[in-house]
Amino acid sequence: MQEFFEQILREKKLSCAIFDHDLVLQDWSKFLHQYCSIRIANKKIHTIWQVFPELVGMEEVVESILKQQTKKHDIEKINKYTATGKLRYYTLTLLPLADPRTGYIQLVCLIADTTTETAYEQEIQQQKYEILMLQSNLAKYGNHSSIGILGNSEKIIHVREFIKRLANVKNTTVLLQGKSGTGKNLVARAIHETSLTADGPFVEINCASIPATLLESEIFGYEKGAFTNALNSKNGLLEIADGGTFFLDEIGELPLSLQSKFLSFLEYKKFRRLGSTQENTVNVRIIAATNKDLKKAVENDEFREDLFYRLNVVATFLPDLHELGDDVIILAEHFINVYAYDFRKKIRGLTPSAREKLMAYSWPGNVRELRNVIERAIIFADGDRLDDKDLLLQEISPKPASMPGDISAIPDSGLSIAEMEKRFFFNAIRKAKGNQTKAAKLLGLSLDKFRYRMKKYNLDIKNSDGVETDIK
Amino acid sequence: MKDVVTLSKKVCMLGAFGVGKSSLVRKYVYNIFKEDYLTTIGVQIYQKSVTLKNKANQVGKSINMILWDMAHIEKFDKTIKTQILGASGAVLVFDLSRMQTFNELEEHAKRFLEVNPNSKLVFAANKIDLVDNNKLKMEQFLHLSEQYNTECLVTSAKTGHNVEKMFSVLASLL
Ligand SMILES: Nc1nc2c(ncn2[C@@H]2O[C@H](COP(=O)(O)OP(=O)(O)O)[C@@H](O)[C@H]2O)c(=O)[nH]1
Ligand SMILES: [Mg+2]
Repeated sequence: MQEFFEQILREKKLSCAIFDHDLVLQDWSKFLHQYCSIRIANKKIHTIWQVFPELVGMEEVVESILKQQTKKHDIEKINKYTATGKLRYYTLTLLPLADPRTGYIQLVCLIADTTTETAYEQEIQQQKYEILMLQSNLAKYGNHSSIGILGNSEKIIHVREFIKRLANVKNTTVLLQGKSGTGKNLVARAIHETSLTADGPFVEINCASIPATLLESEIFGYEKGAFTNALNSKNGLLEIADGGTFFLDEIGELPLSLQSKFLSFLEYKKFRRLGSTQENTVNVRIIAATNKDLKKAVENDEFREDLFYRLNVVATFLPDLHELGDDVIILAEHFINVYAYDFRKKIRGLTPSAREKLMAYSWPGNVRELRNVIERAIIFADGDRLDDKDLLLQEISPKPASMPGDISAIPDSGLSIAEMEKRFFFNAIRKAKGNQTKAAKLLGLSLDKFRYRMKKYNLDIKNSDGVETDIK
Repeated sequence: MKDVVTLSKKVCMLGAFGVGKSSLVRKYVYNIFKEDYLTTIGVQIYQKSVTLKNKANQVGKSINMILWDMAHIEKFDKTIKTQILGASGAVLVFDLSRMQTFNELEEHAKRFLEVNPNSKLVFAANKIDLVDNNKLKMEQFLHLSEQYNTECLVTSAKTGHNVEKMFSVLASLL
């Protein structure tokens, strides 16, 4: 092709190929090879189907262009990868043009590079579909929590197997043991949801968080007049869970006085409400969990031996996070997806140094701690991947009791006021959804003071506006 | 021995967003799989030749498949019709881990056949690696593939399960 035309075409980011009436390639611009996957050689015969396989099937269209019945035909947004792996978009246009010398109609194929416009459209669609994908994936995890128990380590596979094996045995009592934050609750839900009783209710109680005096009436219910304030009768959680699962977290905290009543329920599946003489029967699966060493509790006479053996028939230990190897990364990436979606941030994964940092840490607070660390990081990060500087890990890990929410409790290990304050800041920012003005108000501080302390606690945000606008 | 002629045939990948259309083609043509998700805009065209054996286990026919990996179709408008025009076959993909993606398929099949009435179809129940094999009830999908007189294969672009076979089944129908 004449250099003169070449230049015009290049200026407009176009390439061109001209075919004769028999659809054999006659002339082409130099840069056609950027688009075509075949090598075009001067002396060889190339048909249009070889040069543009995308026209296969469109013989009728090509025919009608040559007959000038069709004036123009476009195929838009054709994706091509360059040799260096960059994605480019092209529009292929077919036109009938008369050869100036012979007057015969030729077929002209124009290739326009539309990458700039289309890449923009791609980005918009990408955002939209990513969110839709996440939504449907999260819905999926919600429905089948056993899929939500992520990881490929042997120990996690064992946990999944354990859940699977329980799916067909309806009423066996299950005991889950593991440190705080290892996901006992999640596993309990997974057992419930994969089992035959999945359609029934899932009811839970944390024996440590309810005063011992109220536990009995909560679990077993009471009749009107059973005690001074019992103005009406009330269903116990066991009755509410009928046909489903009853999950007792921290069973080790069940008072000795209640343990025998509970054991008798396990044995006979029958119980009486407080103040009632009538026996109730329910059909529930019991799942109990504890972070205590129950065997030791038995030795110390804090837990009934017979109840322990009754519970311990089908039992498993949930592994600590630091025992799970690479699963830390799988879990971290899962939480990144969840929180990036929650906070509408476009964060996709971890940098290599962030991975290293996560792998090296001991995770005393297990999965729960990991989740909190990722949540915080997502709120503050402004890159498209989480970096090690985004991940705030504790050197001295606070015991769960010193977590915010339970301000008055001082753990045996003591606590650091600075650490507490830092956590208050973190929670305030979270509550204010990243809006610093609101967060400052929540803490009763001026914005200046608030910012000063943010810096002090290394909660420093480089681009504070970014955070305020990013989190909606 | 008689000559084997190679026929070029256009095949479209259809189905909801994120079901694995691009992944299946990439696995089939280049044997690669990527975890990250890049929404396809427009079309990407791949080529792959398949040689099919006849009953006597001789080379029966050879087909040069022109695979059109397409974007998620929100509306069957003119652009889409130009894109699917002239196709001899289509792979209709859904995601076993997101059952709602199955519901869209019948519409896709119907519209595709309106444009290309003599086309052949095959159904791909993709991402089998994500779901529990034992819980899978294939009967619920079979009515659709039976209605279109074809097969529904369980596939995974990640593990490669049935990917080759699925495309061969379609090729043999073309
Ligand atoms: N686990 C798994 N993931 C898959 C499979 N096929 C696709 N994916 C993932 O699903 C997402 C969407 O795939 P993609 O091929 O882009 O879907 P398309 O929109 O239909 O082209 C990507 O993140 C893929 O990595 C599969 O068979 N198994
Ligand atoms: Mg795609």
